[in-house]
Amino acid sequence: MLNIKDLKASIEDKQIIKGLDLSINKGEVHALMGPNGSGKSTLSYVLSGKEGYEIDSGSVDFKGKNLLELDVDERSNEGLFLAFQYPMEIPGVQTSFFLKTAINAKRKYQGLEEIDALEFAKLVKSKAEELSISPDMLKRDLNVNYSGGEKKKQEILQMSLLNPEMAILDETDSGLDIDALKIVSEGVNKLRNENNSFLVITHYQRLLNYIKPDFVHIIADGKIVKSGNFSLALELEEKGYEEISKTA
Amino acid sequence: MNNLSSHGNKILNDFNPFKNFKLENYKYAQLHKDHTSENFSDSSYDYNELLKISHNLQKTDFEETDLSSKVDKWNFNSIDSYFRVSSLSNRSSLTLNLDNFSQEVLLVDVNHFSENISFTKNSSKNQTLILITSNISNPKPRSIFFDLAENSNLEILQLALSNNKSFIYFEINQSDFSKMNFITFQSNNNHIRNEYYASLGEKCELNLLGLNFKNNFINDNFSYIQHSKPSTASNEIFKSIVDNGAITNFQGKIYVDPIAQKTDGYQMSRSLLLDSKSKANNKPELEIYADDVKCSHGSTVAKLSQNQIYYFKTRGIDEQTAKNILQKAFLVEIIESLQNKEIKDFSKKLLDNLI
Ligand SMILES: Nc1ncnc2c1ncn2[C@@H]1O[C@H](COP(=O)(O)OP(=O)(O)OP(=O)(O)O)[C@@H](O)[C@H]1O
Ligand SMILES: [Mg+2]
Repeated sequence: MLNIKDLKASIEDKQIIKGLDLSINKGEVHALMGPNGSGKSTLSYVLSGKEGYEIDSGSVDFKGKNLLELDVDERSNEGLFLAFQYPMEIPGVQTSFFLKTAINAKRKYQGLEEIDALEFAKLVKSKAEELSISPDMLKRDLNVNYSGGEKKKQEILQMSLLNPEMAILDETDSGLDIDALKIVSEGVNKLRNENNSFLVITHYQRLLNYIKPDFVHIIADGKIVKSGNFSLALELEEKGYEEISKTA
Repeated sequence: MNNLSSHGNKILNDFNPFKNFKLENYKYAQLHKDHTSENFSDSSYDYNELLKISHNLQKTDFEETDLSSKVDKWNFNSIDSYFRVSSLSNRSSLTLNLDNFSQEVLLVDVNHFSENISFTKNSSKNQTLILITSNISNPKPRSIFFDLAENSNLEILQLALSNNKSFIYFEINQSDFSKMNFITFQSNNNHIRNEYYASLGEKCELNLLGLNFKNNFINDNFSYIQHSKPSTASNEIFKSIVDNGAITNFQGKIYVDPIAQKTDGYQMSRSLLLDSKSKANNKPELEIYADDVKCSHGSTVAKLSQNQIYYFKTRGIDEQTAKNILQKAFLVEIIESLQNKEIKDFSKKLLDNLI
């Protein structure tokens, strides 16, 4: 699905990703953990194609295509999704209108007709209900005056509507209360199947109790320094980054 | 013009912005420049749809009136407006009492009139007047007056589209306890200037809101809001999107009379520049002679947010679509303040079609 080889990337002449390798196959869930400032969000921005990041070297293959050559919207329409650590507020744009526009962009890319208004209403209603997002919320401007947790849920709603093949969740759990964490995790688990993959960025093992990863990676200073299975997350919780990195 | 008073003559001769480009109140309007454009697009909108939801006022509904004596009755603490004096002395005038019409939405196509127009309203019945000032090419200024009696209220939507040159003086006289909601929608214009002079009586409310986009040369809005009595509120917001080297101007003054305690005045102009050739001039001013007032003003000039565009793109939405949506999102606030639902919906559709 996603194959990152020796990726080095900079912003404002400062290299943040310093030779990162990561391979994610169809159907797998990978967790990415690492200290503040280690480059987790930067990696997700680079993968999404955000402007301002310089690729110094390396390659990223996504479903057999050179991901780095695609524009941001193409990457999305090809099935890459990024749930942001800090979702953007968009005043003046109603949430439901935004959702419909995004769905139709993807349908257009796939050569399908625009979604029928009734079908859209039904679809959004059911997905929003699953995430316990109230219909009133969808009438409000996108993310404007949403609470921290509500913004994170909104990201997951967008993900479930766009049904990506490769989703990157950047600290979706931070800011969520315990009930919301369960609801969001269930939402992710429901989407999970043998044809899609997830990269879950988190600081807490708690999320991984709900979304069981196949692999856990630890990133430090722009590189993966240790990889393992779920038990690595447990070990990390116990020992902390400092000690884990020593044994790397 | 020979029978004009010395005041009238002075304004016409010494304060003519079409000749003198250094006049303070016409600072950015550049009226001395005769910029004509053939290549600005005629913005199409469904006139018929508008007629379905409004009653079209005919010339025969109006009565002749003589406003020329108004030349010397300048009730504002400002230098007199050249537009006002020249239109009062060059054009005859018509008047209409809006109370004579039971319809909630009335429409006047100003292009059918060569006269100045004066509207009066006495009742507090909800009424929206659509003023079409579109496809005007005659650069001679014209005046449109509104006199709101005590306790009355009125909503105005001005549609100023596809004008080569349009120069209009609006005067809003509000008697005590009256309310005015004035929205001006300006697009696809070459060189236009709207002047708004408003005088507010006790406990009056005035909303003066404008949007403009796709200007060709200069889009100029000038306001002078005079808080003449206690406890009045004015709320002014202008939003502009400028591209292709066009210029948008907002110059506005809030004047608070010494007796106008508890005035609440708000003035804001926001511009989005889509390229580096385009320009926004903002000149907000406060002149306050009362001490117990709440007045604030501000202006912002910004570009479209790259981060917001990026967010749209990460959801598969292409860049142009994202930019269009963000432009509409920026302007729609103005349209949201229309009270009449049908007119609001029409205006939203118009915005959709023109962006
Ligand atoms: N525009 C920028 N200019 C310079 N440095 C930057 C810029 N953006 C990010 N950085 C730096 O890059 C490093 C990695 O940041 P990043 O946001 O990827 O960390 P992170 O692993 O996601 O951290 P956290 O766990 O706190 O979310 C940090 O040191 C940050 O200060
Ligand atoms: Mg981060």
